Amino acid sequence: MTTPPSPLSTRVPLWRDVRVLRVVGQVLAVAVAFLVLRWLLGNLTSNLDRLNLGLDFGFLSRPTQFQVPYHSTFNPRAPVADMVLVGIKNTFLAGFSGIVIALTVGLMVGVSRLSQNWLVARLATVFVEFFRNIPPLVIIIFFAAAVFTFGPFPNLREAILVSAPGSSSNLVILSNDQWGIPGFAGGSPLFTGLIGLGLILAAAGWLWRTRLNERTGRPHHRLAWFLGILIASVIISYLALGRPVSMSWPAQSENRRLIVGGFALNWGFMSVTAGLGLYTASHVAEIIRGSILAVPKGQNEASTALALSGFQRYRFVVLPQALRIAIPPIINQCLNLVKNTSLGTAVAYAEIAALTQTSIGNGRPALQSLIVMMAVYLMFSLSISLLLNLVNQRFQLVTR
Amino acid sequence: MTATTTPPLVKRLTGIGWVRSNLFPNVWSSILTILLLPVLLYSGYRAGLFLLVNAEWEAVERNLTLFMQGTFPRDQQWRLVAQLPLFALALGAGLGTASSSAQDRAIEAGLPHERTSPIGIVRRFWSVIGFVLVLLYFASTANPWFVVLGSVLAFLLGFQIRGLPARFRLYGWSLMSLLLVAGFQVVSGTTGRAWLVTAIVVGIGAWTLTGSERIVPGWRTWALKTGAVIVTSVLVFLLYSVITDPGVGWDKWSGLHLTLWVSALAIILSFPFGLIMALARRSGLPALRLLATTYIELIRGVPLIALLFMGQYVALFFLPAGSSLSSISRAIAVFTLFTAAYVAEIVRGGLQSLPPGQTEAGQALGLTPPSVIRLIVLPQALRAVIPAMVGQFISLFKDTSLLSILAIFEFFNVRSLVHGQPDFRVVAHAETLVFVAVGYWAVAFAMSRESQRLEGRLRVGAA
Repeated sequence: MTTPPSPLSTRVPLWRDVRVLRVVGQVLAVAVAFLVLRWLLGNLTSNLDRLNLGLDFGFLSRPTQFQVPYHSTFNPRAPVADMVLVGIKNTFLAGFSGIVIALTVGLMVGVSRLSQNWLVARLATVFVEFFRNIPPLVIIIFFAAAVFTFGPFPNLREAILVSAPGSSSNLVILSNDQWGIPGFAGGSPLFTGLIGLGLILAAAGWLWRTRLNERTGRPHHRLAWFLGILIASVIISYLALGRPVSMSWPAQSENRRLIVGGFALNWGFMSVTAGLGLYTASHVAEIIRGSILAVPKGQNEASTALALSGFQRYRFVVLPQALRIAIPPIINQCLNLVKNTSLGTAVAYAEIAALTQTSIGNGRPALQSLIVMMAVYLMFSLSISLLLNLVNQRFQLVTR
Repeated sequence: MTATTTPPLVKRLTGIGWVRSNLFPNVWSSILTILLLPVLLYSGYRAGLFLLVNAEWEAVERNLTLFMQGTFPRDQQWRLVAQLPLFALALGAGLGTASSSAQDRAIEAGLPHERTSPIGIVRRFWSVIGFVLVLLYFASTANPWFVVLGSVLAFLLGFQIRGLPARFRLYGWSLMSLLLVAGFQVVSGTTGRAWLVTAIVVGIGAWTLTGSERIVPGWRTWALKTGAVIVTSVLVFLLYSVITDPGVGWDKWSGLHLTLWVSALAIILSFPFGLIMALARRSGLPALRLLATTYIELIRGVPLIALLFMGQYVALFFLPAGSSLSSISRAIAVFTLFTAAYVAEIVRGGLQSLPPGQTEAGQALGLTPPSVIRLIVLPQALRAVIPAMVGQFISLFKDTSLLSILAIFEFFNVRSLVHGQPDFRVVAHAETLVFVAVGYWAVAFAMSRESQRLEGRLRVGAA
């Protein structure tokens, strides 16, 4: 500036005014994002027009046209929407069983890594370093090959039948293709609803006992209450509805090509759950070990000074503090596991990613199919994130 | 209190004493030991029996080249042979430069500095070196030995840069990046895309190398920097109009070579993108924040396979008609976009851990917002998240195995080529699987050890 203005009337030039810059920056960013999106969508519509393809979701009500593997009751003429539901169910099943394996094994290995016993600690370390550094896909293929394709089991026609002594029904059926385990048969929506109600009641009981304990300091026994209410409601509704369910034992079909009765596990499911379960367990173990080590040493020493026993020290002092650190990353690992079930594609397990891929191969519109698939995964992710936020609120240390 | 503390006495146990206190300290522990020992010995025996006696390694031995370079044209093999020593040289130069800055920092802080010695490197990267030795063991000709020997010598040569004074250190880094680009181009050739890559790398190099010592550069410095970038770009362009070499584009790469390159490219490309996303998500501008948050959460909510399918089946719909991108290019783009979202979240963690006083102090010094970010926020925030970032890159490296689902023949999927051969259709599946798993394990393990080491050295992570 050539003429120095008087200090009082100094005005920041427009291009250095933070307020102006903020608005300009945002408008620019939105404009760029908008232009890029418009370019992409413009390309999309012109390409789809050129190829005579639509952008509608009508394919969901058209027939699936292929047999979903290991779902002999699935009718290929059922609409694609039904196939998506089967995929969601299988993704959920694999995710849930994988999480159960990952948490149990992870907890055991994580605690073992801190064991006094040299052998146990070393073994746990080897487990963690082994599974953590191999791609989950390789682990899944390894299970598929080592246990099933090239494993010790005969094919389904000559399956190994294990039955309890003195009974004619099978406990387990083992083959290189499917395993049969006992399951439940029958059941009615009313029965399921009643069990759900019992679960809600049991949870309410848990909360009530917790509140009571917090208010009066009386022992809560909330686990006993929870299980008691749940078991009581199951027994009452079972008897009241006239025994709606019965045990169902696995058996081979007439031509020995299928497993009827019980619950059939196919090799893809078992490879995915075992592989992902152990892979995620190695991560969970590291988290648990880290969070136990993160509890300050003084806490341990203080509880020893208070004459708490080893168990009490863990139960009332160390674990509550360690879990506060451990739970958020563990839930993240569970989320990763659910997303990783998409690796079922590699072992022909009928989860949503594999079914979507087959469906696209069968001529369903790729873009819409993938949008449906991503929506399914987003649904899973968002519900787990919601859980994470709730847990975070509950466990957050209240300071100031 | 300034009481002098003496470290507690540690009793070194040997022999029986060690066994008693580590294997049989109490009843439960003893029972565990007694139960575990036979199981362990038996499984060790079975594993050893398989690896050393029963396994038929012929499938690996005969297809070693296939595992390493896949279906890379055999008459162009010299390109790969030339690439390795160039990379070793680059790695040596990079480590040498890094070690001289570490030395400076240690001297500044008055701490003893552990010098990076070749033996230390062998100890740190024993898993990778072991894997290379396994590869050499399987080699049927002497050529791989020469390549490895040449690479080791090149590495040691590059490492001689160690002890570089601080004002030349930028040249050390730019030497490393130029060697990396050269190694890339020996294989990929010097036309089209390669021109762009080089121009960007050299441009960034010229930008950082020219400049003043002043913290807030004036317009002269900016003019100098811009001029340097223009001059170097023109030079690169002229160079490329003279040297044109068709090369072998990455559409024809496969095997371990492809796996390593996909990981490296996705790491390099995702970092700046993730950094921008993290800054946008933390910025005070709501529109930017919303855009970045949407992107990050959308990408993180879906599995990588879903995005790879997107890249494979529908990405071309979003590009102008007639444009073609090979499936490997699309996969690299997907890996980059995917990793960027995770890098953004990691960097955001680092930014959040920074006390607000740092930014305020910078503002009080009269620095402009970009200078505050560049000089005060980022150096501290990035330092804190290096270990987490390495962890993300490890998982990226492992995730490249998903390319096999798209029928791209990266390291893992070479197995399907091997087992397509009439000799190995039903045999040796376990052997090839073990071989591939060991390969992934060696690299990922070395990287995770490095990240733990960094964590300890930078004293970040668990406080």
